[in-house]
Amino acid sequence: MNTTNDVAVSTRDLWKTYPQEPEPVHAVRGVSLDVARGDFVAMAGPSGSGKTTLLNLLGGLTRATSGSIAVAGHELSALGDRALATLRLERIGFVFQAYNLLPVLTALENAEFTLLLRGVPAEERRRRVEALFKEIGLEGLEQRRPGKLSGGQQQRVAVARAVVGEPALVLADEPTANLDSAASAALLSVMERLNHEHGTTFIFATHDPRVMERAHRLIRLVDGAVESDVRQDPHATEAPGVA
Amino acid sequence: MTTPTATAPLARPRRAARARVFAHLAFHNVVRNARRSALTAAAMSLGLAFLVIARAISDGAHESWIASGVRMGTGHVAVQAPGFQRSRSLADRLSAPQVAAAESALAAPDVAREVAAVSPRLTLSGLASSAASALPVRIEGVVPASEAQFSALPGSRVRGAWLTPDDRLGAYVGDALARRLRLGVGSRFVLTAQGADTQIAGQLARVAGTFHTGVPALDEGLVYLPLATAQSWLSAPGAVTSVAVLLLSSRATERVARTLRPALPDGLAVLTWQEAAPELDSAIRIDDYGGYIFMFILLAIVALAILNAVLMSVLNRNREFGVLQALGLTKRETGTVVLLEGLMLTAASGVLGMGLGFGITWLFWRDGLDLTLFMKEGITVSNAVASPIIVPEFRLSQVVLSLTLTVLIGVLASLYPARQAGRIDVAEAMKFDR
Repeated sequence: MNTTNDVAVSTRDLWKTYPQEPEPVHAVRGVSLDVARGDFVAMAGPSGSGKTTLLNLLGGLTRATSGSIAVAGHELSALGDRALATLRLERIGFVFQAYNLLPVLTALENAEFTLLLRGVPAEERRRRVEALFKEIGLEGLEQRRPGKLSGGQQQRVAVARAVVGEPALVLADEPTANLDSAASAALLSVMERLNHEHGTTFIFATHDPRVMERAHRLIRLVDGAVESDVRQDPHATEAPGVA
Repeated sequence: MTTPTATAPLARPRRAARARVFAHLAFHNVVRNARRSALTAAAMSLGLAFLVIARAISDGAHESWIASGVRMGTGHVAVQAPGFQRSRSLADRLSAPQVAAAESALAAPDVAREVAAVSPRLTLSGLASSAASALPVRIEGVVPASEAQFSALPGSRVRGAWLTPDDRLGAYVGDALARRLRLGVGSRFVLTAQGADTQIAGQLARVAGTFHTGVPALDEGLVYLPLATAQSWLSAPGAVTSVAVLLLSSRATERVARTLRPALPDGLAVLTWQEAAPELDSAIRIDDYGGYIFMFILLAIVALAILNAVLMSVLNRNREFGVLQALGLTKRETGTVVLLEGLMLTAASGVLGMGLGFGITWLFWRDGLDLTLFMKEGITVSNAVASPIIVPEFRLSQVVLSLTLTVLIGVLASLYPARQAGRIDVAEAMKFDR
């Protein structure tokens, strides 16, 4: 398995099977892929194609039935629950469709949450979050709680939370699904900029053609298996992967 | 911004930093559902306040029973011959030198500062006879002045007067006994008992006064005589059967008994009131056990209230716990946040409940809780009369017990929800409702 610094995530013959009557359900079937550091990858496919399950497997939120996953050089199956939690804290950022900010914390506290858990000093935390907020257009919203933010603003806070700890990998599950066109475009621009300027690796699970268009690599999943895996030019007028 | 080296080893960050985050989250979660938290805290606080009040009143009542029991009986501590408690016979009496040794030990500074009164007594069983009847009685030979300081009985006078040193034949008898023997103040009657020389001897006595305590055993069967008269009648000069000691506080009982035992010569026994009046001790213990059962039921209800509140809050927050674990908390740490929520709720309720309990109890501290509406004369417990006015009493041990139990139920009631929060399937919890 390739565990060099150039690969953010790598899977080999990855399976996820849910035991069910009358037949077990294979949500992910023998997926093998490598995602380079700094890549901007979209995983597309119809509902039930296994996008979210694959994302959960990559993020260590669920365990694989068989096969291997390495994130930032760490083989997930070899990690216990505690080590897996540490890996998520230090190397993986998540962006969810439903934003999933902690409702009792302010935007700033949500964004700095992983830094807090990592014991980063307050001054350093504030410096990083404020710089990031300025960069992604959240300036002035630091003290607002999630309930007082628009969907687009909440999702940008979620992105800030995901990238502020400088993870090896950001996994985003349908990040634009609840946003209107303008908010989606703005969010994608933010993530593209973070990818371009900071080299943050993004993997999206998405239905959204706009995300697929702007991805550097488009992986199509059908029934839990990779149907196609193409590298594309995000600046082309018509994306080759879009149906 | 730079990504960490891909294969850098994973090291769990410092625990202290994380603990602060968990406490911060837990606090905000408690405050988030302000109404639910307030209702739960109110239920817990009232329960705890009730517990504090109930224990303080119960302890106050017990102290009143003890005070009454020891003043009508053998005192907090009694020095007597080892066999007297069982035999109640003059054969097990203290000689004059033994009495002097006991009084000397009681005068030692570390004992004397705890002592309120000392009364030497000659106690025996006998027969009281009048023209109307003859009845078995307990006869107490006492020094009138000492006993007046010690016993509650001189103050329970119905007719006539308490004994005086110069009235050699004077007797102070229970009013029910006087009625049954058809005796009035000034009436003469005869006491008969076995003397120290084992001979049956009679003693003429004259009713100086009668008393009423409400305790049938005393009102119907107790006669007081001057100690000198009893010693002379029973051929036991200088002898007593016990030296009864009344302490300033019943809490000093065990300490005084422990100090006295090695200070006394062989052949003298030191009995605490629990040993001398086991029936009163049993009554208090039984009442205490009843109180503990009541306390257990109350605490169980409080625990269920916490469990309900915390569990409800946990069941509604599966996605939140999923987020916490996705962001890097372990299952145990997720549970810790919930446990802290329960503990914070418990701590706040504990402080409020204790404050409320102490506050309400304090209102009755000086004048006592007057229950005369429900019991005019007080109730009889063993050979003690429980006063209808109860002065609540705080004991540090009870305060510590209440606090410990409160914290314990807070922890226990939060453990299950905490476990549930830690055990969620993160991927399942994060599913978006499409």
